[in-house]
Amino acid sequence: MIKVDNLKKKFERIDSNKKKVTFYADNGISFEANDGEIVGILGPNGAGKTTLLRMISGILEPTSGSVSFDDKTYDKYEIEIKKNIACLSGNTKLYDDLSIYELLMMCADIYEVPKAKAKERIKEIAKRLNLENLLHSRIANMSTGQTQKINIARCMLHNPKYYILDEATTGLDIIASQIILNFIKEERDNGKTILYSTHYMEEAENICDRVVMINKGVIIELGTPDEIKKRTGTNNLRDAFFALIGGAENE
Amino acid sequence: MNNNTKNILKKELRRTFRDKKSLLMMLLVPIIIPAFIIGMAAFYNMMGNKNPEDYNKIGFAYELTEEEKAIAKELKIDVINGTEDNFKEMYKNKEIDLYITKNSNTYTINTNNSTNAAYAETLASTYFEALKNNLQAQILANNDINAVEFFTMVNVDKKVVEEESMMGSMLKSYGFLFCIMAITIAASYPATDTTAGEKERGTLETLLTFPIKARDIIVGKFLCVSISSIITGILSFTLSIVSLNVVQNSFEMFKGGGITYNVSTILCGIALIIAYGILISGISIAVASKSKTFKEAQSSLTLVMFLSFFPGMICSMISVKTTFGLALVPFLNTALIFNDATTGIFNITNIVAAFVTSIIYIAIVLYVIIKQYKSEKVLFS
Repeated sequence: MIKVDNLKKKFERIDSNKKKVTFYADNGISFEANDGEIVGILGPNGAGKTTLLRMISGILEPTSGSVSFDDKTYDKYEIEIKKNIACLSGNTKLYDDLSIYELLMMCADIYEVPKAKAKERIKEIAKRLNLENLLHSRIANMSTGQTQKINIARCMLHNPKYYILDEATTGLDIIASQIILNFIKEERDNGKTILYSTHYMEEAENICDRVVMINKGVIIELGTPDEIKKRTGTNNLRDAFFALIGGAENE
Repeated sequence: MNNNTKNILKKELRRTFRDKKSLLMMLLVPIIIPAFIIGMAAFYNMMGNKNPEDYNKIGFAYELTEEEKAIAKELKIDVINGTEDNFKEMYKNKEIDLYITKNSNTYTINTNNSTNAAYAETLASTYFEALKNNLQAQILANNDINAVEFFTMVNVDKKVVEEESMMGSMLKSYGFLFCIMAITIAASYPATDTTAGEKERGTLETLLTFPIKARDIIVGKFLCVSISSIITGILSFTLSIVSLNVVQNSFEMFKGGGITYNVSTILCGIALIIAYGILISGISIAVASKSKTFKEAQSSLTLVMFLSFFPGMICSMISVKTTFGLALVPFLNTALIFNDATTGIFNITNIVAAFVTSIIYIAIVLYVIIKQYKSEKVLFS
C-alpha cells in the first residue's frame, strides 16, 4: 500500500516585477493506494500531478507531509523502496547510445536481478512486447512507440511492487497507448499497486479503480469513477471535473 | 568499487567511447602536440642557422677606408654607401638590414628590433671588434709591442659540460604544458556530457528513480571522466616524448642532446598527469553539474580551463622557482614540479606537498558534488 499524507511542495519563482514569490505546487495532498488497485491522479496541466508523483517516486523532497510504502519511508528505506518501484512517464528518456539489451542488463544489475534470471526475463519480456529482433539495436534508432515499449520492459524487468506512471500515454499513437493500458491492467491483476496520472479523463475512467482529482495543488474529489459521477450528477469524469471546478473558465 | 558504481562507470564509458565528439576532444590536442613541438623546433633551427645573405646588407653613411673595406669583405658584409636620409628611406623599404653613421671616432649602429636587424647587429659588432683590434695592433706595432702577445695575455675558453639549450628547455616545458591542456580539454567534454548533458537529454530523472545512492552515481561519473582525461594525458605525454626524440635526431641545433626526458622525469610526469587528471575531472564535474544545459556548462568550464592552464604556462615562461607555498597551489604545482624534474630537481617535500594537497582538493570536490546530487536542485539548477 502507498500512503500519501498531507504532502506539500513549495517552489520559488520570479514574478513579472522580478521579485521572488513562493507558491505551492501541491498543498496538502492525502490519499492511499491499495495493493491490486489502479489509482488515477487526474487534473489539467499545471495541477501538480507531476510534482506529486516526483515526490512519491523519491526524486523530489516534500516541503512537508510524508509518503510511505507499506509503512516504510524514504528517510530510512530509500534504496529498499526504490528497488520496489518502477517509474514511467510519457517523456521518460533512455540512454540512446546503449542497445536495448545493454540497457536492460544494466537495469537488471542495478535492481539486483541475478544475471541468469535477467537473461531469461529479457527474452520473455522481449517476446511479449515484440522487441525480440531489436534487442541489439541502439535505442537512438527506435521510434517513440518502440522507446515506450523499452520503458515498459525496463519497468517489468525487476518485477516491482509499485508502479508510478506519469502521463505514460501522452504523445503515443493508439496502438502504443493500448499496449501500455493493457500492461497496466495486467499488472493490477497481478496484485501491484499503480498510481496513474493523466489528463485524459476517458482513459482514467476506463482503467482506474479509484480517482484523485487535483486542481491547483489541492484535491477536489476522491473516489471511484462511479462515486464521483454520482456525487457530481454527471455522466463522465470530464463533466464531473468541470462541475467540480465550476466550468472551464475557472480552471 | 560497488556494483552500482561499476554500472554507472560502464554506462558512462560506453557513452564516452561511442560518442564521436567525446573521442575527438580526447584526441584533438594529443594529435596537435607532435606538430607543435616539431614545428617549433624547426623554427628555432631555421633561426639558428640563418643564411648570412638574409641579414648582411649594411649601409655606411661615411666613406670606408681600404682597411675597413677589407674587413667588411672578409665578414661577407654587403656594403651599401649613401647618406643617412637615403638609408632611412631604404630601411623603411627593407632594402638594408641596418645602417651605421659616424661622428669623429664615434660610430652609431642604427637598428630596429626585427630579427634580421638583430642578426645584422651581431655582424656589425663583429666588424667593429675586428676594426678595433686592427687599429690597436697598429698602435702596438708603432710602439714596438708584440700585438699577439699583448692580445693573448688572458685567454678564456668555453667548455659545454652538459648540452642543454634554452630552446630545448622551452620545448620540454611546452611539451608537458600541452599535455596539461589536453587533459583539461579531455576532461571538460565528458564532464559536461555526463552531468549537464544528461540533464538536458532528460535521462537524469530516470537515473534518479533507480535504487542507486548519489555517492555511487557521482563516483561512477567521476571515474569515467578521470579515465578519459588520464588516457588523453598519457597519450599526449607519449607523443611529446616521441616528438622530442624526433627533434633531437632531426635538427642540427638539438643534436647535442639534453632535450629528451630521462626515466625519472617520465615517471614524475606520469604521476603528475594522473593527479592532475583526477583533480581537473572532479572540478569539471562540479562546475558542469551546476549548469542546466550543455552550452551553459561549456561556458562555465572555459573559465576553469583558463584558470587551470595559464598559471603553469606563465610560470614556465618566467622561470618561477618552486617553493613549499607554491607546491600547495593546485594546477600551478603540476607545471612547477615537472619543470623541476626536467632540470633534475626532485624536492621530496614539495612533491609530497603537491600530491597530498591534490588528494585533499579531490576529496573536497567529491564531497561538494555528492552533496549537489543528494539535493533535488541537481534537477533544476
